Amino acid sequence: MSDDATSEPGSEPVAPEGSEVDEPAEESATEEPAEESPIAETASRPYVESPIIMATVRVVAPFVFTFGLFIMFHGADSSGGGFQGGVIVGTVVLMLGIAFGIGPTREWVDPSTIVVLVGLGTLGFVSVGLGTVALGGAFLDYPVFGTALGVPHPSKYGIELVELLIGVIVAGIITGLFFAIAAGTRGGESA
Amino acid sequence: MSTLEFALVAFVLATGLATAVLRDVLGSIIAFAAYSLGIAVVWVVLQAPDVGLTEAAVGAGVTTVLFLLTIAKTVRPSGERTLERLDLPALGVAVALVAVLATTLGALPPVGGAETPVATSEVTSYYLENAYHEAGVENVVTAVLAAYRGFDTLGEAVVVYAAGVGVLVVFQREVFA
Repeated sequence: MSDDATSEPGSEPVAPEGSEVDEPAEESATEEPAEESPIAETASRPYVESPIIMATVRVVAPFVFTFGLFIMFHGADSSGGGFQGGVIVGTVVLMLGIAFGIGPTREWVDPSTIVVLVGLGTLGFVSVGLGTVALGGAFLDYPVFGTALGVPHPSKYGIELVELLIGVIVAGIITGLFFAIAAGTRGGESA
Repeated sequence: MSTLEFALVAFVLATGLATAVLRDVLGSIIAFAAYSLGIAVVWVVLQAPDVGLTEAAVGAGVTTVLFLLTIAKTVRPSGERTLERLDLPALGVAVALVAVLATTLGALPPVGGAETPVATSEVTSYYLENAYHEAGVENVVTAVLAAYRGFDTLGEAVVVYAAGVGVLVVFQREVFA
């Protein structure tokens, strides 16, 4: 697959008949982010390369992501909230993984980013609670932000900040579970 | 019970049964996703859209994908049979459990009844009257979750966090890979 990467700027999904026809089904993988040869990692990967799925995901993903953020933020005024919105945002990464291969998606997201995000989300939630205590209120007593810091609508924005942090935690964990289950314990038993 | 509700209950029962008895795990997972979708609609019918949203996103969506990823690492059972062979002791336990739970059904108030303890409780009326002024959000569910019971929600978020840490510990990894 690596020798195909040189011919990628031509963006021809099927290699012209000639030198490289000995690789049967994986030629079109050079078309998009999947050029990292994900198939080489595991033979049993449930990844099926389909232009229909790739095109659909490419169109739908930004809308799903926006919908997840909407659910997260608009949970203050309608149904939804951080947990639901976080799951929907996490679904975007799952869709990308199913469409373009889990290995390349994992490289694109970078597994350590997920751990950092989840940790920061949890830390942020705790520090919002401790921050209100430090400002002289009770735990998660959002109106303190208004009296002490002059934040307008402190309770509403406090709730939405917390919903966003919950969403970050949940989206990160969903994505992480997806990657972890896809990778399995392969290569990790002896660690 | 309206026709819609009857159809919903029949759908949920049928898909739940299919999940239990189908021998092919792939079919079982698909039936389980349909079951979750049916339950999500049931939540909406019961006026609990927040719960329905969660059920649809987690139960029908993410869990199905994770199950599919898991069975991709297994082999399909051989043989011709479509349905699982009946496990009589397990069936007995399940029927006994349902029977015990069913005895509480008579004590439940009617769905949406005005005399239910939840509707007449002082706590409920307090939240409904004061949530907008005190928490500044129009969705009372969110006000209770993030403001009045914010500490509980912090606990929930930490549970999710701890689940991720647990997976990493079991896999002996430092990142999800």
